[in-house]
Amino acid sequence: MTAETDNILEIDAIEVIYDSVIAAVHDVSLTVPRGKIVALLGGNGAGKSTTLKAVSTMLAAERGMVTKGTITYDGTPVKTQNPAEMVGLGMVQVLEGRRCFGHLTVEENIIAGAYSRRLSKQEIRAELEKIYGYFNRLKDRRRSQAGFTSGGEQQMVAVARAMMAKPKMLLLDEPSMGLAPQLVAEIFNIVNELNQKEGVSILLAEQNTNVALRNADYGYIIETGHVMLHGTAKSLLNDEKVKDLYLGISKEGRKNFRDVLRKESALRPDLHQG
Amino acid sequence: MIEFLFFIEVVVAGLLAGTMYSLVALGFVLIYKASSTFNFAQGAMVFFAVLAFVGFMELGLPFVVSFFVTILLMGLVGFCTERLVLKPLMNQSEDTLLMATIGLGFVLEGLAQAAWGVEVRRLDLGIGDFPIPWIMDSAGLFISALDLTAGLVSAILIIVLALIFKYTKMGLGLRAVADDPGAASSIGIPLGNIMLLVWTAAGIVALVAGMMWGARAGVQFALVDLALKALPVLIIGGFSSIPGAIVGGLIIGASEKVLEVYVGPYFGGAIEGWAPYVLAIFFLLWRPEGLYGEKIIRRV
Repeated sequence: MTAETDNILEIDAIEVIYDSVIAAVHDVSLTVPRGKIVALLGGNGAGKSTTLKAVSTMLAAERGMVTKGTITYDGTPVKTQNPAEMVGLGMVQVLEGRRCFGHLTVEENIIAGAYSRRLSKQEIRAELEKIYGYFNRLKDRRRSQAGFTSGGEQQMVAVARAMMAKPKMLLLDEPSMGLAPQLVAEIFNIVNELNQKEGVSILLAEQNTNVALRNADYGYIIETGHVMLHGTAKSLLNDEKVKDLYLGISKEGRKNFRDVLRKESALRPDLHQG
Repeated sequence: MIEFLFFIEVVVAGLLAGTMYSLVALGFVLIYKASSTFNFAQGAMVFFAVLAFVGFMELGLPFVVSFFVTILLMGLVGFCTERLVLKPLMNQSEDTLLMATIGLGFVLEGLAQAAWGVEVRRLDLGIGDFPIPWIMDSAGLFISALDLTAGLVSAILIIVLALIFKYTKMGLGLRAVADDPGAASSIGIPLGNIMLLVWTAAGIVALVAGMMWGARAGVQFALVDLALKALPVLIIGGFSSIPGAIVGGLIIGASEKVLEVYVGPYFGGAIEGWAPYVLAIFFLLWRPEGLYGEKIIRRV
């Protein structure tokens, strides 16, 4: 893997339609280089979650379909697989909203993550200890019912559970959602650590542009199902348009990307600016 | 003293009969946990399983062979149900699934009768429905050997299932699916396989329950309705709880017998058939999620 680019995930111009009528993603292309963290940014309804679910094949369960374009994961075209098969290939999605098994204990939740692997009891224990090494906080809470742990702990459970499947690639859907900044930082630290020590590639959907870009290598900004801008995380953090729209550093009011591009082309004044 | 002994006899007979309600209720709980739907076909499965078992016996197969062949058959029923009913209806509303189970019930009843005929069969397990002599001699209680066996068998089966759920990988998978099927599938738990396992387990439970009831009352169509007694059991115990099914079954079994004997005469008898439902209504008013029903955990 020297001459050709080694991408673990390549999405080429996909369109996703729900219930045969509602288009959620129109034209999204992105690549995740092996071992890197790529952030997928955008507001509510931009198509971030849909893109992730298209990759993990969780779409079918919500009556969604990839109608155009191709997805290639680790050299394999993603078409008719089901989520269990994707997990078998080393791709695990951490769903939006944590989705812990509320009535199971923290430890049972994490062990459930190893369901797809054939491990002996000792191997599971060893894996558990390794996971607790990253998520110290969960070790103290191992016997608690997951439904009664805090939001941050639940997010950690969800990531830890996914790591038990020994993924080559993690899809994280809004890990920062509803969490205090300190916890968000803690979770992103763990994600970075997992990326570096376990070599797991990460595609991360986030609304929290600032945190996401600070922790990612590369970023894509999507809006209403289209990729509007992409570049290295550093370049996006310093991009005037991104600062303006997503990082809240602008002095002007909030707009969307389309308006900025329109303004830039200077064809007509910005109609949406209040 | 005689009065009191009689009361004990009534309660014990009720409790033992109750274990069988627990067993059928357990079949419902299994499927409710895995697919959040009340499986109206459970009664038909009881009927189908025991009729098949008796059918195999009549073909001259030994008891044990018939038993295992029937278990295989119930596995096949589970497989077909998963492939032909549940899978095509995946992600449909729970009401749709409920209707589908009603349909499935009719199909199973029809198939069973088409294959094995409609007349009432006798099922002889080699255990008579007579009082056990040593209990009669030592305690002066009349306790039926069949009741006691049925109670023990049910108890063992329930304990085995409970242990499987708590301590095996499959059990963990099932509990995960019960909590959040989407999240379970996101970490690679194959929903189809879990459904197949659950339906097979429900089939085995149905077979054992059917055998116990069939031995007492004959293998006949009325088993389908008898199995619906599980409904008040579940309302009392909670739809998603194994301990709930057990305790609910015991409560229904004991109370229906006690009510029948002591209150029944004022209503002209035979209140056993409806008393449990009345009890269930009071429970709905007092504690709608049931004794052990899982209260929805919701952090605010």
